[in-house]
Amino acid sequence: MEFLLEINTEEMPSSHTRAGLGQIKEKLTAELSASHIAVVSLETCGTSRRMVVVGDFAPQQEDKEDVVVGPPQAVAFSLDGLPTAAAKGFAKAQNVEVEKLQIVQTAKGAYLGFKKVIKGRATREILAAALPAIITSLSFPKMMKWGESNLRFSRPIKNILCLFGGEILPFSVDRVQSDDFTTGHKIHSPQKFRVRSFREYKALLKKNKVIISDEERKKLILGQIEKRLEPLKAKLYPDEELLERLAHDVEFPYVFLGTFPLEYLKLPLEVLSVAMREGQKLFSVVQDSRQLPYFLGVADAPKDPKSLIQKGNERVLKARLEDAKFFWEQDLKIPLAQRAAGLKQVVFQEKLGSYEAKTMRLKSIVGYLCEKIDEKRFKKDALRAAELCKVDLQTEMVREFPSLQGKVGGLYAKVEGYPAAVAQAVYEHYQPVSLEDNAPASLAGALVSLADKLDSVVGALGTGVQVSGSSDPFGLRRNANGIGKVILDKKLVFSFGHLLEKAISVYGRTLTRPKQEIIAASQAFFEQRLRYIFETQGFRYDLINAALGAGLDNIYYSFLRLKALDALKKSPHFELLILMAKRVNNILRGLPSYKVNGDLFAEKEEKELFSAYAIIKGNASPLIASGDFAKAQNIIFKMQSPLTSFFERVLVMAEDKKIRQNRLALLQAISKLLLEMADYSEVVVEGER
Amino acid sequence: MSLQNLIMNLQRFWAGQGCYLAQPYDVEVGAGTMTPDTFFRVLDRRPWRVGYVQPSRRPKDGRYGENPHRVQKHYQYQVIIKPSPSDIQQIYIDSLVSLGIKLSDHDLRFDEDDWESPTIGAWGVGWQVMLDGLEITQFTYFQQAGGVELVPVPVEITYGLERLEMFLERKDNFYDLQWSDDVPYRDLRLREEKEFSEYNFNLADIERLQKSFVLAEEEAAALIEKNLLLPSYDMCLKCSHLFNLLDARGAISVTERVKMIGRIRALVNQIAQKYCGREVTP
Repeated sequence: MEFLLEINTEEMPSSHTRAGLGQIKEKLTAELSASHIAVVSLETCGTSRRMVVVGDFAPQQEDKEDVVVGPPQAVAFSLDGLPTAAAKGFAKAQNVEVEKLQIVQTAKGAYLGFKKVIKGRATREILAAALPAIITSLSFPKMMKWGESNLRFSRPIKNILCLFGGEILPFSVDRVQSDDFTTGHKIHSPQKFRVRSFREYKALLKKNKVIISDEERKKLILGQIEKRLEPLKAKLYPDEELLERLAHDVEFPYVFLGTFPLEYLKLPLEVLSVAMREGQKLFSVVQDSRQLPYFLGVADAPKDPKSLIQKGNERVLKARLEDAKFFWEQDLKIPLAQRAAGLKQVVFQEKLGSYEAKTMRLKSIVGYLCEKIDEKRFKKDALRAAELCKVDLQTEMVREFPSLQGKVGGLYAKVEGYPAAVAQAVYEHYQPVSLEDNAPASLAGALVSLADKLDSVVGALGTGVQVSGSSDPFGLRRNANGIGKVILDKKLVFSFGHLLEKAISVYGRTLTRPKQEIIAASQAFFEQRLRYIFETQGFRYDLINAALGAGLDNIYYSFLRLKALDALKKSPHFELLILMAKRVNNILRGLPSYKVNGDLFAEKEEKELFSAYAIIKGNASPLIASGDFAKAQNIIFKMQSPLTSFFERVLVMAEDKKIRQNRLALLQAISKLLLEMADYSEVVVEGER
Repeated sequence: MSLQNLIMNLQRFWAGQGCYLAQPYDVEVGAGTMTPDTFFRVLDRRPWRVGYVQPSRRPKDGRYGENPHRVQKHYQYQVIIKPSPSDIQQIYIDSLVSLGIKLSDHDLRFDEDDWESPTIGAWGVGWQVMLDGLEITQFTYFQQAGGVELVPVPVEITYGLERLEMFLERKDNFYDLQWSDDVPYRDLRLREEKEFSEYNFNLADIERLQKSFVLAEEEAAALIEKNLLLPSYDMCLKCSHLFNLLDARGAISVTERVKMIGRIRALVNQIAQKYCGREVTP
């Protein structure tokens, strides 16, 4: 039977609509399943003014069979097999005939009883009772109250339409009584109308200038955009976030094309597109990645016959671009190098001093990184970029459009004639802003990005900032994810422990926690972040544990270890290798370490194992050192055969103490070699599941 | 078409909604929200309806009269209704219609924009109202003022008069607007913008401003002790304006900024709490 719910509100932000619909779906599903009501379908859709749920549910709960137990068989019947007073009393109390009573077997023995069918309650009743609590318990990123109501919600609720099987499902939420009508577009078709089904709801809304399907609105926008752009042979400057937001905000999309004066084309695309996006939510139009003097807007209106919407937007945009041009020209009057002195006045973080101090630290860290990864030829450019990267925080352009930080500095550096590598590194040093974002394309940019983020994380952890649950006020997770991404994408090989020490030491006395504590906290934090990154890449958790178990001082190597292990998981060798490693580790558990003495080997198998070990170690070690874990793994696997023979023929726990310890010492050496690859004992293999 | 016509139309419309028509407040403020007709009246439980024009000063927005739509003083039309009526969005839309705007030809949008004024410990939830891409109104369900949670919830509607008039006259420059049929905005305001921009950015004496700030702050604190809350609040408004001037002069670093705003807010919060306390025991 069809269920339809529309919560009609004043305009909600898209993140709220998403959160609200997700929670309604989840809570409703839980309620229906707890009430044993079959759900055929349950879908949601919505606009800024409507949260809509459509479902197909069974009209009532499934009937339930219950066994009612009465007196024990022994007391229920007399010796001649007739029902006793106890049996009759039970029958009467339960309102059944004595003849219908049966013997039921329970854990305590045989009892008198009967099977009772409990008719399921009507879904309608259950929903009417559950919905008010579901709706009032929704939580949004920011809640508000209105009028004299005590309800906290995203925005004021205007109306609730709720139907089950075409009829009103009655309940009330905060003085709003559910009903069977809704209203059309707020401006362009504000009338009220009654509906009996989702089909009718959808059709009447469309007639009244509301497209209720999320997909359909998005398709309409994209279709119209294409139509407008075709004659221009132009493209949209892609902005998925803006598209999603507009598809949510607008109930009846109309795409219009507007123009702006050519003189503003001398502003870079980045500035133009931000000026268009912020405020008016316009798309910029490009051809071969160059801005054309056009923009596209999405109006919440059926059409624009007098072009008033287009002209109005053109006027507003012109004023905004005039502002942007003013900022661009004003900013360029003061060279970046001259602005650098002002960084002393700009606070990075209260406990961590100014951006000038941060810039000094970044230069040290970037210089260190250039030496360590042996990229000295980039050093000059990378250092220059580190010096300039934060200067644009003082420009009018970044004050007006904070999302352009970094990019603006890069653009100004280019205009001022800095080497292209310097300008590019400044431009991209905030990247990646998320795991989906790209790491900087240039190596210099990657190093500045890495240094910048690491400095922020170490500074925060070093002054006692804690990251837990939803609390991450300084965005440390985002920064650490960015560091991980840069290292992995750029294949950077260096000791993370040493880099941490460097990043801490350049803070001097600024950090309040002891150095060892900061290192421990940073390593734990990065391990957790790395685990998260690997998990989002789809690696198995036990393989991640195994790879990280070999140490995470070299983050890129951890990734290579994981890849090698992951590649092996389908091979027939995999399980053998793991079991072999586990066997060795089990024997060695809890023992002190011993030293191998080649002269003490007596049995053939142990001699063979010892020499196999020596050869394998000799071959594998350079491969491990150079990060070729796949090859190293294949070589190490050759240990399996001599090791198997060893376990079969040689008694490790020999009576002679010296011989025993020598055998254990050999296994310890093997175990140590294996651990350079991965902590194989973390891997879960078939037999153990 | 003129700004004064717009003002008269809004006055008539909101008087029709039962609003008392207040006159502009005579202390410099950054927004209509800060005047006593809003700040004190939203704190208590009594119903309240008011509409008024408020000249609003934002020294940093000065552009020497050279920017088409940024000025260091602009005019707001401020409406407060408490409790917020359930059909207030529609009433607001009707107010636009009453100005002669044929909405079916336009794109009217309520875009998420939560408002906050840390100086007076106030925040609310709502929208910027966009008409064909032009922000004409800030529409807010006021949740807190002076750190006090507001019960019942007032709605605040703040029209940007110059912007709305730009829309009505289809102009793209404030200085091309008419104040009345005979008096252009340019004649009234251009010289003022030039002179005040010069003052705000270059000549305001930083040391004297800092001293004045401290004096006003001390006066405010002393008046709170004496339970003279309205005069004390005036002193806080002076602090706020002096702070804005210092900010325009570039004399406030980021850390100082947070601290000074915190100092004003602490005073304002005390005033609000005392004011509410007095409500219960008159």
